[in-house]
Amino acid sequence: MSQTVLEINQLETSFTRDKQKIKILRGVNFSVNKGEVVGLVGESGSGKSLTSLSIMQLFHDTTGKIDKGTIKFNDQELTKMTESQMRKLRGKQISMIFQEPMTSLNPVLKIGRQLMESIRLHLNYDKEQSRKHAIEMLKKVGIGRAEELMDEYPHQLSGGMRQRVMIAMAMSCNPSLLIADEPTTALDVTIQAQILELMKGLKQDHETAILLITHDLGVVAEMCDRVVVMYAGEVVEEADVFELFANPKHPYTSGLIRSVPKIGENKEELDSIKGQVPSPSNMPTGCKFAPRCEKAMAICNEAAPPMLNINQNSKCSCWLYEKKDVTVHNE
Amino acid sequence: MNNILVVENLKKKFQISGGLFEKKEFVNAVMDVSFHIKEGETFSLVGESGCGKSTTGRLITRLVDVTEGKIVVNGKDVAQAKNSELTHLRESVQMIFQDPYASLNPRMKVKDLIAEPLVIHTKLSKEERDKLVYEMLEIVGLNAEHANRYAHEFSGGQRQRIGIARALITKPKLIIADEPVSALDVSIQSQILNLLKKLQKEFNLSYLFISHDLSVVEYISHRVGVMYLGTIVEQGDKEAIFKNPLHPYTKALLSSVPIADPTMRKEKMVLKGDIPNPKNPPSGCTFHTRCPLATDICKQQIPKMKQINDKQQVACHLVNEN
Repeated sequence: MSQTVLEINQLETSFTRDKQKIKILRGVNFSVNKGEVVGLVGESGSGKSLTSLSIMQLFHDTTGKIDKGTIKFNDQELTKMTESQMRKLRGKQISMIFQEPMTSLNPVLKIGRQLMESIRLHLNYDKEQSRKHAIEMLKKVGIGRAEELMDEYPHQLSGGMRQRVMIAMAMSCNPSLLIADEPTTALDVTIQAQILELMKGLKQDHETAILLITHDLGVVAEMCDRVVVMYAGEVVEEADVFELFANPKHPYTSGLIRSVPKIGENKEELDSIKGQVPSPSNMPTGCKFAPRCEKAMAICNEAAPPMLNINQNSKCSCWLYEKKDVTVHNE
Repeated sequence: MNNILVVENLKKKFQISGGLFEKKEFVNAVMDVSFHIKEGETFSLVGESGCGKSTTGRLITRLVDVTEGKIVVNGKDVAQAKNSELTHLRESVQMIFQDPYASLNPRMKVKDLIAEPLVIHTKLSKEERDKLVYEMLEIVGLNAEHANRYAHEFSGGQRQRIGIARALITKPKLIIADEPVSALDVSIQSQILNLLKKLQKEFNLSYLFISHDLSVVEYISHRVGVMYLGTIVEQGDKEAIFKNPLHPYTKALLSSVPIADPTMRKEKMVLKGDIPNPKNPPSGCTFHTRCPLATDICKQQIPKMKQINDKQQVACHLVNEN
C-alpha cells in the first residue's frame, strides 16, 4: 500500500449569503497517494474548485467556512490549523497552480522576485542561493533563457510561459502535494501539450502527488491514475482511470463520457444529459442527480444513496448498485 | 450544390499604434484567406488564439471593415457594401457568439431579444412577430413560458438557445458561429451541438463554424480549414484532414488533442516554442519557427496553396502532389 498524502473525510463547506447558509460541499471523501495523479472532475458548480480551496483554506475575504469533516495531510489535521501554521505549509508542502496565470502573478514585480519570495521564506536561503535556486527551477520547467527572464515582468510573457513560471514557483520547495486547478484550460492545445508533458516529467522526478482539477475528460484520460467524479457538491464515483472510462458506473459519469465528441468516432448524434446542474440553494432531496437521470427509480427521489464499493478499483454512490450482486454494466 | 459563400484573398490589417506623432504600426490579422461554403454545409475554421479565425468571421458579417479581397454571399460581392446593402446582408448572414452572458441585453425580455431582428429587417406587425417568436422558441427547445423572462434567469445552455433563436428568426442562409459551445459544460455542449445539426437539416442552413476545439469541429463539420497566423495552411474534407493530415501544423495540432480514452495514450508530437507575435510574423512560411521539418526554402518563400489530392489543399513547401 502506497503512502497516503492527503485524506479528506466528510468535508462540508458552506458560504453565507444574506445570513443564510448555503452548503456547497456536502460530505466529500477521497484520498491522494504519494506519486499519484488524481483527477477531480465535474461540471461548473460541482464543487471541485471549492474542494481545493478548502484544502488550502483560502477563504480570505469570503464567507466560506469548513463546517464539518477532516482533511488529513501527511498526519497533520489541516482543519485544526491556525492561519499562521497554514501559511508555513502553503507553498512549501502543498502548492497550487491556477487556471489563469496572469491573475496569479503580481504584475508589478519581476518574475525573479516573485519566484525567490517563497524560496527565501520557506527554505531560509540567502539572496544569492535563492536566486540560483530560482534559475535552476526555471530551467527545469523548460525555460531556456532563465537568467534574463528573472528580470522580466509577467506581462512580457506568453500564457504558456507564465504557466511554466507558476509551475516553477509551485515546485520550488519540492512540495509533497501539488494542486493544479484547471492548469491548461486557458492555453492553446499545442501549448497545453507542452505543459502536460512538463507536469508528467516533474511528477516522475519528484514523486509529487498531484490533484488535477479539470472539466476536460481528455486531460483526465491522459494524465490521471485515479479519478474522482463530483456532482452537486458530492463525490458520485471514484475509480481507477482505465476502469472509469471502460466501465463508468454512475449514470452521471457515463453520461459525461458519452457527451464528449471523440476524434475518429464519427457519431451522427451526440449523447447528452438532459436538464442542468441544480442550484446549491435549491437541491433535490435524495440523489442530487435523480431529476436528470434516465435510470432514476422511486427511491432515488427519497433518499441519498450511500457510497458503495463496487470492486477493488471503483466506488460509486448510486441506488442501482445497492444489494444487487454487483455486475459490471457496460453502456 | 450552390456556393452560399465564396471568400477570395481576404485580407485584414489592424492599426495597432500611430497617434499624432507616433509611427504607424499594423498587424496583419488575416492574410490572404480563400475558401467557400456550399448550401447546407458546415465549414469550420480551426486554429489557436491569434490565428485570425474570429476576425475572418467578423469580416464576413462585416462587423469589421475589409482591407482587401472578395466576400461573395449568394452571388454578390459584399466586401465593400455600405448602408442598406449591409442591412440586407445581415438578414441572410447571422451570427452566434461565444459568450451567451455577454451577447444578450440583460434589460430585454426574451421575446423582445428574439424579435429584434424582425423589427429591423421586416415590416411585420407585433402579432405576426410574436407568432414567429413563439414558433422559434419551440424550435430551439425552449417554450412559450420562457418568452416573458429576462436573460439572467437562464443557464448558459438556455441562453445559447436564445442566441440561436435570435440568429434564425430572419431565416438566414448562412450562420457564422464563433465558438458557440466553448463556454458551456460538456453535457450542455452536446445538447447545443445536436441542436445545431438538427436545425441545419431542417432549414438547409450553411454554417461557418469557428472553434479551437478539434473534437467539436470533427463532429460538426463537412469541410475544415486549419488556420495559423492569419493564413489557412490546410483545407479540405473533414475525413481526409482528420485521418490523413498533410501539413506539419495540422499533424501537430491533431496529435496535441488529449483523447478521452486512457487506452489511447500515445507519444505526442509536441511543438516547441510559442505562437509568434502576429505583429512580427516570421518570414517565408509563418510556421517555420516551430516546424520540425523546416528547410531553407521555408524561411524565404511563402508557400502557395496547392491542390494535393481531390480532397485536400495544403500550403507547404514540403508537401507535393503525387
